[in-house]
Amino acid sequence: MSPTDHDTEALQDEVTDLHEHARDTRRPGEAGFTILLLLASLFLLWSAYDISGFEALSAPGTLPMVTTLIMCITGGLIMLRTIKLPLISGETFGQNILPLALVIMAVLLVCYGLLLKPLGFLPTSMLFLTISIKLLWRQGWVKTLGVSFLVLVIIYVVFRIIFTVLMPSGIFPEAEMLQFFRNLIGGGA
Amino acid sequence: MDALSAFFTVFTDLKLLSLVALGTFAGVYIGAIPGLSVTMAVSILISFTFSWDVHPAIALMIGIFMGGVYGGSRTAILLNIPGAPSAIATAMDGYPMAQRGEAGTAIGITTVMSFFGGFIGIIVLALAAPSVSQFALTFQPRDYMLLAILGILLVGSLSGESLVKGIFSGAFGILIGMVGMDPLTFTGRFTYDLPLMQSGISFIAVMIGMFGVSEALAQLHHLDTPAIKQKITRIVPSFGTIKKYLPLSLQTSTIGVIIGALPGTGGDIAALMAYDHAKRVTRKPSRPFGKGAIEGLVAPETANNAAVGGAFIPMMTLGIPGDAVTAIMIGALFIHGLNPGPMLMVEQPDMFWFIVGSLVVANFFMLIFGLTGIKLFTKVVEMPRAVLIPMIMLLSIVGAYATNNSITDVYWMLAFGVLGYFMRSYGYPLGPVILGVILSRLLDDNWRRAIISEREDLGRFFHGIVTSPLSLILFLAVIFIFFSQTPLWTRLKARLLPARNEEAR
Repeated sequence: MSPTDHDTEALQDEVTDLHEHARDTRRPGEAGFTILLLLASLFLLWSAYDISGFEALSAPGTLPMVTTLIMCITGGLIMLRTIKLPLISGETFGQNILPLALVIMAVLLVCYGLLLKPLGFLPTSMLFLTISIKLLWRQGWVKTLGVSFLVLVIIYVVFRIIFTVLMPSGIFPEAEMLQFFRNLIGGGA
Repeated sequence: MDALSAFFTVFTDLKLLSLVALGTFAGVYIGAIPGLSVTMAVSILISFTFSWDVHPAIALMIGIFMGGVYGGSRTAILLNIPGAPSAIATAMDGYPMAQRGEAGTAIGITTVMSFFGGFIGIIVLALAAPSVSQFALTFQPRDYMLLAILGILLVGSLSGESLVKGIFSGAFGILIGMVGMDPLTFTGRFTYDLPLMQSGISFIAVMIGMFGVSEALAQLHHLDTPAIKQKITRIVPSFGTIKKYLPLSLQTSTIGVIIGALPGTGGDIAALMAYDHAKRVTRKPSRPFGKGAIEGLVAPETANNAAVGGAFIPMMTLGIPGDAVTAIMIGALFIHGLNPGPMLMVEQPDMFWFIVGSLVVANFFMLIFGLTGIKLFTKVVEMPRAVLIPMIMLLSIVGAYATNNSITDVYWMLAFGVLGYFMRSYGYPLGPVILGVILSRLLDDNWRRAIISEREDLGRFFHGIVTSPLSLILFLAVIFIFFSQTPLWTRLKARLLPARNEEAR
């Protein structure tokens, strides 16, 4: 593929948010997605009815019922329209919607959430950056580790020190490290 | 006099001044790097500036907003990849210019014209907002309700594949905003008796998920987009060039402000409409449009920067955002205890003038950063996406965690990120979701206020709408948007405008 093809592709991706016209084909997995959304909307409608029923127009459940009803109607319309469309040729679910790299990244993100508290921000982030950059970039280990470390340092300096965001420190002796650097700067001055 | 001193707050405070500068600088690069967007940046930043004072936080975010709108144009010119949707039109003539080796000229003109457009937008904002908010004080609760619906509908109909999908997204957003305890009666809504649902879903988590993680996931499809290197020559345009395009830029700035001020339309639409306008009014373009016409650069760039000032008008005076970016700015104001709407101008006029002042400063910094630092810029843009994507994800997690120090928010954020990715892939617009979340409370409150004041009588409610001119106009606009999507309208249009339909085919 020539670079221009790539550019147009990226350009079109950008345009997606703006002026996409209704397609005449459906993408892989789209029909299932619309059915799921409709089922979720129906469940939410039932939950909305459960809030206060038809008690009064100003009751807490009235607007939720209207909202979820709209979701059911539009969700139903979208589903009916979508399942009628022919499947787009040349796209597969595993390649164009949910490629392996995407699944792995999503799993890595969930793992990050699980490890953040016990392990602490710095080790978890370093682990996450190294694995994901190695996976996506496919460069040597030295380069990967170097770039991951650099990115982590930038993020840490900007957000921990400038924005003073507190992240769980976990097993890493973060306070001691900061104190060390403070002493270093203080001693040097 | 107070207004004047509030306006000059930013100019005299070195800390604020440097924050605006920093924000603008960051904004230019964020807007320029494909894969990073202003929406993403501001939504992540809201959580980081959460504990700050209002003034510095707003100063920083305004800088990012202003710089970001401009920044998208650079990659559009150099790489033919608009860094932001509002720069799509810029790529049409900017990239051909770069191909001819005139990238420097193109960037120079773009910068000066963005500055010019931005300035006109701010002037209109300063002049119009006070009177609009005076007018808005006469609004009834039902008018607010209708305006909110109209805003969501417009964003839904202009983005994405179809209005139906837009409406679905908008309703979904409103629903997310309702989760938690009802503030009036303290009844749980969609809480399923789970303690963690009772305080509702943090809208910051929703925003970061929808615009940070989902965007990063979508970018995984474009991992190997190669970087194109460009040599850049002279940048600062001559005075003669600027003078030559002044009349056109005035017209397109006006288009930008008006489009920006309409609910539901932002810089992207403004830029495309201005481009179209330039194409129609320019008799002898410097080169044919699409082949590197300078007019084709002037028009979209003045318009999308003028739209910034325009978009602040409904945002500050009515509390109704025009698009996803302004929706997030409203979120930022909310977080800092401000309540955008007509009362803001009455209760805290100094805040309004402070924001206007910050915009002016940001505009100047944009000009400075726009004409300098191109070398650094080309380096930054060449950053591989394989590094950028994990970085965005990490920032999103830190951002979601930082607001409440809660890991639950991180999971919400991830869930919305994945959902957002699928919605994106299947053509559901995400803008209306955010608009819905932000406007949910306003919609709910005003509906209940309106219906209680009509003694729970729907008949009286509609009578009220029909007899008030403003409500009637808003109501008809809502109806029209619905009607325009039905088969009946398509048939009617085909009968009335057969020629145009042919052309569209």
